[in-house]
Amino acid sequence: MSTGTSDQDALQTESRIPIQPLYRPADVAGKEYEAVLGDPGAFPFTRGARPAGTRRGWIHRELSGEGDPRRSNEQFKYLLGLGQMGLDVIGDTATMGLLDPDHPFARHAVGTQGVSICCLDDFRELYREIPLDRVSLSHSLPAIFTVAGLYALALERGVSPANMRGSVIQSPFFCEDCGYAVHMPFALRLRLAADAIEFSAREMPKFHTFLEDTYYISENGIDAVEEMALGFIEVRGLIRELLARGLDIDSFGPRIAILVNCRMDFFEEVAKIRATRRLFARMMRDEFGAKDPRSWAVNISVHTSGLSLTAQQPVNNIVRGAVQALAMACAGVQALEVSTFDEAFRTPSPEAHIVGLRTQQVVELESRVTQVADPMGGSYYVESLTDEIESRISEMIGRIEGMGDMAKLADSGFFRRMFDEATERHSRALIDGTLPKVGVNVHAVADEEDTLLREVAERKFEPSRERIEWMAAYRAGRDARAVEQALRGLYEAALDTSQSLMPAVIAGTRAGATNGEMAGVLRMAYGRPADPFGVLSDPIAVTASA
Amino acid sequence: MKRVKVLIAILGLDQHEVGAVAVARILRDAGMEVIYAGRFNLPTGVVKTAIDEDVDVIGISCHSWEYLYYADELMELLRKEQAEVPVVVGGSVVTPGDARELKEKGIAAAFGPASRPEEMVQSIRELAAARAAT
Repeated sequence: MSTGTSDQDALQTESRIPIQPLYRPADVAGKEYEAVLGDPGAFPFTRGARPAGTRRGWIHRELSGEGDPRRSNEQFKYLLGLGQMGLDVIGDTATMGLLDPDHPFARHAVGTQGVSICCLDDFRELYREIPLDRVSLSHSLPAIFTVAGLYALALERGVSPANMRGSVIQSPFFCEDCGYAVHMPFALRLRLAADAIEFSAREMPKFHTFLEDTYYISENGIDAVEEMALGFIEVRGLIRELLARGLDIDSFGPRIAILVNCRMDFFEEVAKIRATRRLFARMMRDEFGAKDPRSWAVNISVHTSGLSLTAQQPVNNIVRGAVQALAMACAGVQALEVSTFDEAFRTPSPEAHIVGLRTQQVVELESRVTQVADPMGGSYYVESLTDEIESRISEMIGRIEGMGDMAKLADSGFFRRMFDEATERHSRALIDGTLPKVGVNVHAVADEEDTLLREVAERKFEPSRERIEWMAAYRAGRDARAVEQALRGLYEAALDTSQSLMPAVIAGTRAGATNGEMAGVLRMAYGRPADPFGVLSDPIAVTASA
Repeated sequence: MKRVKVLIAILGLDQHEVGAVAVARILRDAGMEVIYAGRFNLPTGVVKTAIDEDVDVIGISCHSWEYLYYADELMELLRKEQAEVPVVVGGSVVTPGDARELKEKGIAAAFGPASRPEEMVQSIRELAAARAAT
C-alpha cells in the first residue's frame, strides 16, 4: 500500500497545493515588509491580531456540554478547576436543529452529543454559580436563542449584558448542508443571524455574536482553502446584509471573529491563519471601508479537527492534538479547543478533557513557543505558502461570488455538492493512502491488539431521557396564555420583515416559550411546516391569510 | 444478473454524513445501485422505502449511539412486515462489542472503523445473493 511519502510523488500540502522540497530567498523576493506583513497588531495583521508582548498565549478551553444543563454545569466547574480559562459549550443534535428534547426524533439523542438546551430555565441551570461577566462563554448553539437566553439571564442576575464576553456561532449559509440543519429558508436564516448581530452590537458590545464557524463545515472533508473561502463568503454575505440595513461597518466590525478548523498539515494550517488575518484586514479596510483598526484585526479561535482523528489506536489522537496545538500556538490564535482522543466515539469524557487541557498547558508553558510573536514569520516556506493560500482563497471567493446570488446558489444545492465532493475526495484519499493516516492506512494493527485507551474511549452513556418527562412538566407549569401571546407576537413580527426579531424572541424566552416552539412559529411565518418532520402539531393556530 | 440494490440511511438526528456518502460511493463504484435516503429517518420510513423499492440490503450509517436503540425497532418492524431484507450497520462508533450485540439482535453484519471497503462490498454481495436464493 502506498503511504503517499515515496520520493516519486509530487510534493503537495494537504490542500493539494504543489510545494518544493526547499524554499529560498527568491521565493519571497520583492515583498515589502510593511505592506504584506507588518508587525503583529499592525495592518495587515498577517503576523498577529495584537501587538507583540501584549497578551501571550491563548484562552485554553475544551469542548463541553453533555446531558442536561445541570450535568453540563458540573462539567464546567470540573474544567475550570483544571485550569480552563473560558467555557465552550455545544448543543446536542436536537438543540442544534431547533427541536425540543421531547420531539419524537430526539428521543435516543437527548444530551448524547452535547447539552440539551431549549428554554430560559435551561440557561439558568447551565450557568448556575458561573459569574456571567467574569468567564468568557463561547457557544456552538443556535445564535439568536442563545443571545436571548444570555441577555435575559444577565438581567435576572443583575449583571450588565454589556460586560459579558464570549461568542456564539453563526452558520446561516451552510447549516442545512452540513451538521446543523434547522430546516428554515435561507432568507429567515440570514435575518435571524443579522438581527442577533445587530442587537448584540448595541446591547452586548463585548460579546462576539458574529462568530463565523468554518469548523463544522470542514468536518465534511473540505480542505483549508475551501474552508476559508466559504467562511469569507458567509462573512461577506452577513456584512452586506448588515450594511444594507444602514449599520456602520465599525459598529459591528470589531466583534467579528472566526472559529476555524486545524487539520494535520502543520505549516499549511499556520499559513492559513496568517493569510486569513491579512485577507480579513484588507477586506474590511479597503472593500468595506472600516476605519476603526479593531475592525481590521480579526480574532481567531480554533477547534482542532475531529475528522483528522481516528477510532483506531485512540492514543495516537493525543499526539495529533499536540501537533495541532503547537501549530496554532505558533500561528498566534486567541482561543483553542483540542479535539480529544475519544472524539471518534463520543463527546469528551472527563479523562479526555484532562488530556486535552494538559496538552494545551504543556504546549504553552513548557515549549515556550509563545514568548516571541509569530515565530514563523520570515520563513521562506511559510511566507510563500501564506501568499499562495491567500491567493487561492481570494480566487475561490471571486469565482463563487461571480456565480450570482448566494441564496439561490445555496438553494440550488451548489454548496451541498461541494461538500459531498469533498467528502468523497477525503474518503478516497484515505483508501488510496494519499492522505496517510497512522493506524488506518499505514501502521495499522489487528483489532484485538488495539487496546490502549480503547476501553475509556468507547465508554458509553445513556441519552438523558428524563429530559422528556421534565419537558412535559415544564410545559404544563407555564403560564399558557403568556406563552401563546408571546408566540403570536413572534409570528406577527416575523411576517413584517422590516422588524428585528430579537425583541420578540427575548419576550418569548422570558415568557417560557421553548426554542422548538419559537422556531416552529418562525418556520410557519415563512410558509414552512412548523415541525420539519411533520410529527408535532403547530405551536399556534393561524388562519391562512397570506 | 440483477444489480444489487442497497438503501443507505442515517437514523434519528445524527447529522454526520461523511461515512454514509463515502459508503454510497464505494458501493456504486462496485456496480451496485444505491438509494441514498440521507439524514433524518425513522425505522418506519426506512422499512417502507426498503419494501417499496424492493432493495436487497438496508445499510444504516451511524456516528451517534442512536442506532443502538433504533436497531430493535427496525428489526421488529421488518419482522412485522414480513420483509426479508438483511440489515447492515456501519460507522466509526461501532465497537467490536456493539457488533456482537447487533448480531444477536438479528443485524446481518456490522462494520466498524477498521472495516475495509472490499470487505463491505463482499459482505453486501453475499447477503444480496443469499436473499435472491430464498
